[in-house]
Amino acid sequence: MKFLCLDCDAPMKLHSTEGPDEGSLAVTFRCPECGFRVAMLTNPFETQMVRSLGVKVGGRAQEPAPFEHLRSMMANPRADAFEGEAGGETAAGPGCPFAAVVNDGAAAPPETVPWTSEAEARIERIPSFIRPMARRAIERFAADHGYATIDETVMNEARGAFGM
Amino acid sequence: MKRYRDIAGDGGSNIVGQVEAQLGKLRQRLASVGAVVAVVSGKGGVGKSTLAANLACCLALDGSRVGVLDADLNGPTQAKVLGVRGRRLVVTDEGVEPPRGALGVKVMSMDLLLAADATPLTWDAPVQDEAHTWRGTVEANAIREFLADTNWGTLDALVLDLPPGTDRLLTIASLVPTLGIVIVTIPSDVSHLVVRKSITVAAQTKSPVLGLVENMAGLFPGPDAAKLAADGGIPYLGSVPFDRELAVSADRGEPLVATAPERESARALQLIARAIRAALAPRAV
Repeated sequence: MKFLCLDCDAPMKLHSTEGPDEGSLAVTFRCPECGFRVAMLTNPFETQMVRSLGVKVGGRAQEPAPFEHLRSMMANPRADAFEGEAGGETAAGPGCPFAAVVNDGAAAPPETVPWTSEAEARIERIPSFIRPMARRAIERFAADHGYATIDETVMNEARGAFGM
Repeated sequence: MKRYRDIAGDGGSNIVGQVEAQLGKLRQRLASVGAVVAVVSGKGGVGKSTLAANLACCLALDGSRVGVLDADLNGPTQAKVLGVRGRRLVVTDEGVEPPRGALGVKVMSMDLLLAADATPLTWDAPVQDEAHTWRGTVEANAIREFLADTNWGTLDALVLDLPPGTDRLLTIASLVPTLGIVIVTIPSDVSHLVVRKSITVAAQTKSPVLGLVENMAGLFPGPDAAKLAADGGIPYLGSVPFDRELAVSADRGEPLVATAPERESARALQLIARAIRAALAPRAV
């Protein structure tokens, strides 16, 4: 899908993505010439169609981890299927507190918010294949809420906000 | 006004590039696999999984390096049949390490990822309504990941155990252009009726059809499998006599060709495996 600014007859560029929020992604495009912006809002069905392709709206910042698509899409995965990931906060798949965000979200990175060492240690316990996206989700949450530092309290708030 | 084709790229997501990268990774992984053999049948209950596991073991017995991918996502059995059920997977820089089953055969199966015996495969989604519209795409990507992200290493043959029907064959043929296809039937009119369609679909994939195997021969009188193969214009690879020990050994996770190679059914399987090996000879299995 491509977006064209009719006034400028110029292809619009991806500006940012938000969500998913209640299954909806907001993908904003901007005309590089006049700055006009338009947002494409997907319904949950359309969001799911994107997910099923195993691609990321907004592009990939890094190589997909092994079985990334499988593990993020399975509704009832075996918690101890992978060595070193025995349930709890390290569980993969939808049981992960950030699964709903990481599978769809490819938002433009927010301004960097520093992490405390305790929060860094905690994020490192999340499986590597979703860690970068979980990190981005928490940073976006912190930026949106005006926090200057990400500590464990902010992480707990983020988990609550993500419904987990 | 510019038209679609006048605009290069998609504005920033590079979806086409992401898909190409997925397929590039798959090609790279399969470059070290000598041959990919799909065991298929339009008909369920003809013994595809037992046959696939035993044929893989026959190839291994002859010194080949062999892997088995259980492409039946909703009814996975290869982990059980090849004795790796419950094993945990290890992720390395090279991908996901497949457990080694009987005779050192490498195995990957959805069974290794499901929570419990009674857990069906379901996909996470905000809404399950209309799931039929996206399930096929999700499962095609799952198969692609199983093929591309499993660290198969260097293999002489990778055997794929497909679910009943022909949908999955078309999916896999689109992912693996150099597929060899083995079609399985049993001696019944009903089976032949369905398998005849499978032969047509297999031919449409443009992949070489290595031949037809008759399983459970002698269990009941039925039509001539060799004639079915001839009518379909494909080789007839042979017949495996009905042997309940095949099922018993599969339940134990010890394929019969490994534990009782002298049995008539095991010898028949060895002959069929050699015919497959001969058909794949240009690919040096």
